[in-house]
Amino acid sequence: MTERNFVTVNPCVMCQPMGSVLAFKGVENSMVLMHGSQGCSTYMRLHLAHHFREPVDIASSSLSERGAVYGGSENLKKGLKNVIDRYHPSVIGVATTCMAETIGDDVPNIINEFKEEAGIGDNDVLIIPVSTPSYNESHVSGYIKAVDAIVRHITPQRAENTPNGKVNIIPTENLSPADIREIKQITSDISGPYILLPDISDTFDAPMRDDLPKIAPGGTSITDIADMKNSNASIGMGLISHNPAVEYLAETHGVPGLNVPLPIGLKNTDTFFETLTQISGCQIPEKYLNERGRLLDTMVDVHKYLYGVRMAIYGDPDKVAGLVSLLLELGMHPVLVVSGSKSHGFRDYINANLKDAGPDCETTILDGVDFDTFNDAVRDTRPDILIGDSNGKYISKAESIPLVRVGLPIHDRVGAQRLLMVGYRGAMELIDRITNTILEAQEECEKPVQMSA
Amino acid sequence: MPEVMSIVNTLDERQPYIAQKQVTGKQVPLACDNNSIAGAMSQRACVYSGARVVLNPVTDAVHLVHGPIGCASYTWDIRGALSSGAETYRTSFTTDMKELDVVFGGEKKLTNAIDEIIELYQPPVMFVYSTCIVGIIGDDMQAVCKAATMKHNIPVIPVQSEGFKGNKKDGYKAACSALKTLIGTKEPEITSEYRINLLGDFNVAGDVWLIKPLFERTGIQVMVSMTGDSTADAISQIHGAHLNLVQCSGSMTYLAKWMQEEYNIPFIKISFFGMEDLSIALRQTADFFGSEEMKQIAEDIIREESARIMPEITRIRERLCGKKAAIYMGGAAKALTLIKGFRELGMEVVIIGTQTGKRADYEQISYSVKDGTVIVDDANPLELAELLVKKEADLMVAGVKERFIAYKLGIAFCDFNHDRTVEFEGYDGFVNFAREIDASINSPVWKAVRQKMKEDDSTHDTVVVEPVHGSCELEVPV
Repeated sequence: MTERNFVTVNPCVMCQPMGSVLAFKGVENSMVLMHGSQGCSTYMRLHLAHHFREPVDIASSSLSERGAVYGGSENLKKGLKNVIDRYHPSVIGVATTCMAETIGDDVPNIINEFKEEAGIGDNDVLIIPVSTPSYNESHVSGYIKAVDAIVRHITPQRAENTPNGKVNIIPTENLSPADIREIKQITSDISGPYILLPDISDTFDAPMRDDLPKIAPGGTSITDIADMKNSNASIGMGLISHNPAVEYLAETHGVPGLNVPLPIGLKNTDTFFETLTQISGCQIPEKYLNERGRLLDTMVDVHKYLYGVRMAIYGDPDKVAGLVSLLLELGMHPVLVVSGSKSHGFRDYINANLKDAGPDCETTILDGVDFDTFNDAVRDTRPDILIGDSNGKYISKAESIPLVRVGLPIHDRVGAQRLLMVGYRGAMELIDRITNTILEAQEECEKPVQMSA
Repeated sequence: MPEVMSIVNTLDERQPYIAQKQVTGKQVPLACDNNSIAGAMSQRACVYSGARVVLNPVTDAVHLVHGPIGCASYTWDIRGALSSGAETYRTSFTTDMKELDVVFGGEKKLTNAIDEIIELYQPPVMFVYSTCIVGIIGDDMQAVCKAATMKHNIPVIPVQSEGFKGNKKDGYKAACSALKTLIGTKEPEITSEYRINLLGDFNVAGDVWLIKPLFERTGIQVMVSMTGDSTADAISQIHGAHLNLVQCSGSMTYLAKWMQEEYNIPFIKISFFGMEDLSIALRQTADFFGSEEMKQIAEDIIREESARIMPEITRIRERLCGKKAAIYMGGAAKALTLIKGFRELGMEVVIIGTQTGKRADYEQISYSVKDGTVIVDDANPLELAELLVKKEADLMVAGVKERFIAYKLGIAFCDFNHDRTVEFEGYDGFVNFAREIDASINSPVWKAVRQKMKEDDSTHDTVVVEPVHGSCELEVPV
């Protein structure tokens, strides 16, 4: 593999502020304001519009040279005022960019000054700062930090402390609106009332209406977020990413926290269902037993096509971990497993998974690498299929290896917002897509399909 | 400031940027060419983006972004510019600056990154873009690039594109300044006594490949199309041309003026979009050289090509006549040529705006549109949405961020930016454009969308009340 020590070629991550956008867009009637130069917000809007095919409004404090010299306070205050005047949001997330951080703006203090000067109270609009300099970590951490900031900021807004009998669900950054809808449905069917934060299922997949709301309806309400402290338990999704919001709710408000893997594949979905039944004491409805049965049926139908097929999986750590689990259940060989963002514990987690399943292959695990390094590894490991976001298309083309698209961004195919990978149904959809991709590739090679199902 | 009647509900500070020809007492926006207002949700990006969109299509160059990961992540191969050769420009290179680089300075990492790239990829030229953070911490990119140029004996060219130092058009200038470094560094290869450069064509979807043959047929050598499908080698020789044709004038006029002073090469502003503007471009070029033979060939081309596409244009024109278009473009040149293009399809323009237009551009735009047309500088989504409904636009032509505003309002949309996959320039390109407008406006999906769904239960804060649409019936061609 070629050593690259100084240059990053074809990034496999996005920046921290982007993660905060993905979180804030899941809060009802919220806006995000990037404290930085005009480009940051516009690029993120472009990137997300390509993926979700929705209008994406992200405000900017539009810092200029003046801001660089005298500080960004004036611009930030003006930006907040204009966003409030035009959008009437209930919540504004203020995410810092590298520029705001480096010029040393004290954002929480500027916000307090603004509220005082403008006579704005928490009942008018909640302004939540989150520090997300782009030169640190990635969108994965940006999401986590923003969710944490939202929960810490909003839970004290509600005085009442009556247990609400609900379960909190805190997902990760890489789930689609369809995934979130599925998780909500499952949770509601099994344990009844729930609070899921952040809920992007409507805001990033909005129906056509007779008008265009300034802020897409949907998202977790402030009332619900404030009520998270009164829930029976919190389920944090993802075992590799740290989930400080779950910890905060446990430590400060005594809400027991359970972290589960993303419900991708049979075992991980079983874990999610078991966790829900444990918390609620309810049984799994027949609907899901049937779904599970259909998933098993699907797995049996395709097992010969998939056994021993060499896979390269890349993307965000918890999504990758979930996919590896699913693929191992099908007897596939994950020969290359890659996390774009550097993640503590990723390697160990994947290795433990591999040890349990014991696939008859060697696995290369890479952590915090770019697509160029990934491409070298693809040449070395010769997978049959790539699975990950659209940015893998260059490698797919260069190496003539089919790509199954999951994750963010997917900008060269339609339907990213409807891609389902969680739950039993999500597993079935993924399995079908992977299998059909293999079958199509075999037909294209004009090789007769060797195996019969 | 004169009393301004409000055309659209927006921030007071934004009102001077919006005009309605012959209705509000002002012909053009009173304000333009300023930095965007904080919180106004400008559709513009930054200085870096301006530089990046202009330079990125240089196909065999390494484009290295000196900055944190995001600036490179979101600009990786988003330009839609095609290449007939090298694909280096579609690779995203960045120094991926981390906190330590910010604290201790990024010059060392940049130097090492340049060395590493040259060792691994051996490009003929490298452009190094500065980003916000570089401007704040004060890395001396000039010095680093100069040292690298000496060391490696290839041009390593700094692009001073700190995101916050101005707006998108300052990035255009930074890109032109970078190109200046390359121009004139090689003896031109000459194959014709008539030589031109095409400046401000980015070969999106292969546009240039429909234009170059037209000029070549008249005996002209096209030395470069810039920057679409250009190479370091070609750019270094373009001082050998007699004439610069400038299409994207917003980005390339600065360079053309410089070439006029430096090399005595005059320039004319032209457009390769639409039948009228194509004819003008061909005729003006032939007139410049003064060759009767060339003029004759140009006339032959105009006659033959127009006759060839006219039946299809006429067919589509009947399907589009009377429809109303909204234009929101990055630069004014494309907005202007689109007015003519729509007229050729029997459509009228009801809203027109740009991100980077200057006062003179808006005056020209105002001259070209009908009374009542709304002219807007640096618009934002809420203004655009309200205007689209108020002006009963049938179609909007713009870029990706605007696409979904139009769609959600049930209004057709055409991408004339980076995302299109068919050529719009040249004769066949205009047919492509006409077909796309037809498909966009006359698709049956809009009928389904406009049928009222169930009782609207919305109580949310909305952009405008009731979408009003013109009839989809054909109208008599004007």
